[in-house]
Amino acid sequence: MIRAVRSELIKLWRPRPVALGLLLATGYAIAAAALVLAAVRPAGRLGFGPSSQSLAAAGGGTEVFTTGLAFAGFFVFVLFTGAVAMEFSRGTIRTMSLRQPDRLRLLAGKLVAMLGTAAVVLAWMEVVGWTTSRLLAGTHGIDASAWAGPAGLRAGLGDYATVLYWITGYALLGTAVAMLIRSVPVALAVGIAWAGPFEHIVADAWHLADKVFPGLLLESVLGGDRYSVSTEQAFVTSLGYTALAAVVAATSFVRRDVS
Amino acid sequence: MTTGSQSSPAISVVGLTKRYHGTTVVDGLGFEIPRGVVAGFVGPNGAGKTTTMAMLLGLVRPDAGTGFVLGEPIERPARYMSRVGALIEGPAMWPALTGRQNLRALAALGGHDSGSIDDLLALVGLSDRADDAFRRYSLGMKQRLAIAATLLGDPQLLVLDEPANGLDPVGMAQMRELIARIAADGRTVLVSSHLLDDLEQICNWLLVIDAGALLHAGPASGFLAGAVPRVIAVPEHPHDLHRLAALTAADVDGAALVIQVPDADPRTVALDVNRAAIAAGIVLAELGVHRADLQTHYLDRVQGASR
Repeated sequence: MIRAVRSELIKLWRPRPVALGLLLATGYAIAAAALVLAAVRPAGRLGFGPSSQSLAAAGGGTEVFTTGLAFAGFFVFVLFTGAVAMEFSRGTIRTMSLRQPDRLRLLAGKLVAMLGTAAVVLAWMEVVGWTTSRLLAGTHGIDASAWAGPAGLRAGLGDYATVLYWITGYALLGTAVAMLIRSVPVALAVGIAWAGPFEHIVADAWHLADKVFPGLLLESVLGGDRYSVSTEQAFVTSLGYTALAAVVAATSFVRRDVS
Repeated sequence: MTTGSQSSPAISVVGLTKRYHGTTVVDGLGFEIPRGVVAGFVGPNGAGKTTTMAMLLGLVRPDAGTGFVLGEPIERPARYMSRVGALIEGPAMWPALTGRQNLRALAALGGHDSGSIDDLLALVGLSDRADDAFRRYSLGMKQRLAIAATLLGDPQLLVLDEPANGLDPVGMAQMRELIARIAADGRTVLVSSHLLDDLEQICNWLLVIDAGALLHAGPASGFLAGAVPRVIAVPEHPHDLHRLAALTAADVDGAALVIQVPDADPRTVALDVNRAAIAAGIVLAELGVHRADLQTHYLDRVQGASR
């Protein structure tokens, strides 16, 4: 697996894509922090999104970050679906399989490298998001004095772990779709239709959708208890989906011919 | 068990079969390729060449039959693929990466030393363009980079599927020269191609398949030994054609007389035709003995098999 990780990192860690990726991640983190703070609820008022009261707690700085990120799950899903399906469409999966015939190791190495890269980008985004929130908190009447202590650090690390779980879930779901379909346009069409409109439209009409659909469950894990499903329940159920996606992706890749 | 011993053939398969949606693409194929030969793999489009190669390389599972590559069973490609370099279904690499980065990524994936990359780029004539993006390469350059990738790790066996596909005549000549140079190091090479003249120049072993079944497996000279030489004569005046045909018991083919010579010495037959023509006052514009080349004999065999 280490060989596959190293190979994938050679592809991912090139100066221009890294610079562009960090630029986009920085822009997103700043914009998301600004938008979440602009939409913050006054303490005591019901509604969607974090309240000024919760943001004043030790984990307020990184709560802004996770709230801003919850809406990006769709993009993560599409990114992984496209990246994996592209290997099939270009025929590079064949080239890779010739160099690493153990397909489980190949797939695991590729995902570890991609998720490792995503982890670095997310860590950077959390720092940028926290800093932006710290600078803007005062203008929205939020007391950020508790953010910088040890409790704030613990909350930040906890939120980071949640974000890593969230992105792993979307990554495996996207990879499973790509492994099953193996075509970029079809995989993206299916992925976009499902994770985008389908889950949310059904959720408007069916109150159990939050507890059933994998994308909404992962959103709930990141968004906290503001959804109709508890964070714990969302975590357990989405963990099942994530494990199933991993099995489907691995089985499909190992058992089917690579042509 | 000496499965990986140097005495075993480079490739051997028995009863290799693959079906797609009820259609048999490879039908009970069985052959051996000794180590150190350059084997040409010949067959029309859809004959099953690429599928056979894909089964040898662990990309496609056979529905029946088995085989060994470098002494290891094809069901366990991880045991031998580090000693095999392969190009199958065209050069597939990452377009945004440079040629050098592509080779580095593949060397890392195969667990090979990346120290040979500069030498390989020089071997395929891409040193000057090594740091250009793969997407900016011409097809010939992409094919050559893919050949360089097959040589990572100094493999014992090369499997090349249509390496000259889509190349112009200059590119084809370069590819032929490159394969000959690679084979000169004593590696076993299995190369499929539609360009039979090219294969004839570089191959000393031949596999011929049609509709998934084997027509010939063995030395290239053995395949051509079955070809019947022909004496071809063309009279100066077309109106002498049938008169000469009557004198020599030859077949008329367009503006020429064609005499198949399966048993006799074709040179003696040509002399007899010349004497008969002179005696009848016929001037010959052309007279010669034609021994079948790979292309002609291959077409005879494939068309014969389909009849």
